[in-house]
Amino acid sequence: MILTELYPSMIRICLILVLVSGGFLLSSRNLKKLVRTYQFQSFLLVVIAICLGVRADNMVLLFVAALTLISKVIGIPACISYIQKRMCIQQDLKFSYLKPPGALMLSTCIILLVYLCFGRILKTLYSANSLFFVGAVVGVSLVLMGLIAVCTRKMAISKVMGYLSMENGVLAFGLFVTELPFFIEFVIIIDLIIVVLLTSIMTIGIDSSIEDYKSRMQEFHLWSDEGGIS
Amino acid sequence: MNGESLIFGFLNVVFVLLISPFFMIVIKKVKAQIQGREGPHIIQGYYNLAKLFQKEVIYSEYAGFISRIAPYAALSIMLVSALQVPLFWIPEEELVTSHIIVFLYLLVAGRLLIALLGLDAASTFGGMASSREMSLSAILEPVTVIVFATLVYVMGSFSIHEIFKTALTTFTSCSPTVLLLSVPLFILIIVETGRIPVDNPETHLELTMVHEGMLLDTSGRNLALFELAHAVKQTLLMAILINIVLPLGVARDLGVVALVCGMILFLLKGTLLCVIIGFFESGCAKMRFFQIPNFFMVAFFFSVLTIFVEVMI
Repeated sequence: MILTELYPSMIRICLILVLVSGGFLLSSRNLKKLVRTYQFQSFLLVVIAICLGVRADNMVLLFVAALTLISKVIGIPACISYIQKRMCIQQDLKFSYLKPPGALMLSTCIILLVYLCFGRILKTLYSANSLFFVGAVVGVSLVLMGLIAVCTRKMAISKVMGYLSMENGVLAFGLFVTELPFFIEFVIIIDLIIVVLLTSIMTIGIDSSIEDYKSRMQEFHLWSDEGGIS
Repeated sequence: MNGESLIFGFLNVVFVLLISPFFMIVIKKVKAQIQGREGPHIIQGYYNLAKLFQKEVIYSEYAGFISRIAPYAALSIMLVSALQVPLFWIPEEELVTSHIIVFLYLLVAGRLLIALLGLDAASTFGGMASSREMSLSAILEPVTVIVFATLVYVMGSFSIHEIFKTALTTFTSCSPTVLLLSVPLFILIIVETGRIPVDNPETHLELTMVHEGMLLDTSGRNLALFELAHAVKQTLLMAILINIVLPLGVARDLGVVALVCGMILFLLKGTLLCVIIGFFESGCAKMRFFQIPNFFMVAFFFSVLTIFVEVMI
């Protein structure tokens, strides 16, 4: 009895924290904090997936949680932190179109808009269980907040954080509304890892030719003559 | 007005006057300890006030009547506000009318008085600080209104007494909305009391000071009154946060044991909040003036988010 009441309240708290972390991704200038926030956001999704999985006795959701934990909580943040450390980038101070206050204002408008739209579409479907309705609203809002981050950030590395946040939104939406098949979730995560790797390569060498690329990698201590990639 | 109302008002006002300097010093002490210094003695705040009360008041030759009445008016406004915010005793019935909009207006009136005082002495620093304060207020006021509107929406009443009573009886601190609301309320304490990252209360550097700049031409007893009013304002804002998030131990009836327990617990909870404020201040750098609205926007975002969450969940 206690467990059945505990899971929904835990999921609710996690969903709110997911939205808060989305807001933080829009406003933070510190790259290290951005990565940690993304890590935290992904961890919250892991908790949500576990709660939903245990509650519905669904093994697929538990697999999704495990996959998210390995890739998004441990793997991808570690990779981005490594690149960031090597490139000695601490801050992302440049914004285009909107600065953090404007981005936060826009995101509140977006949450309102998504809520109003979904109120018409989904409320009748999930009137018995508002949790799924909230999850859907938070998921889509997070996708759009990630999109704002992609549009407003100037540095490639923080744009990637926006993309990753968008994917977290898709995952949240998938968990509550559509239940994406495990295979698709797996493929999406592979795509994400490729995006992170490609962006790392682009961030280092976007303004250099292929010939200069090795020297550019050496400049950031990512390549050594003795042992290749260090 | 009955006897109980008088006791309530008297106890609230005396208690807030007694503990406010202590809370100010706790924050200074925590910051000093983090910086590796010993910091002031825990009763240093009371010594400072006693010393200032004994000193002569000197007025600028250009000072008008505002400089003479503002210190008394500022403290009086804060004491009237103290009647609105129950600290350690929440009676069954509302003994003193406490309306959140009146409380907001009182805060604004206090700020206006100090801004006028900064202009009244006709010094360049005072004028500059008043100008800065009013510029910040123009951005801060809508955010403060939104934060209090959220509080009213979540708790379902305009009366501060009813809000505290709801928090106490339903123990809302487990609710995600109240936890979310605690963030803008905390930011409001930082902003309204002019703490880092908005303003640095310990500096008199012309480039950064806002609140201190307005009080630069104030001395002696008048300065003590302003310091006390500022400390009371901080305690009241802290009380709003404490009595909503952690209302445990607040006295419900007029009994000596219950009241003493309520006072001690409020003192402990307030000290804990002061330690958190001290850590927060130590972990932040002073923001550039034009970056300060970003900080307000965080409070705004959290408030709006709280309303959404309250509506959705």
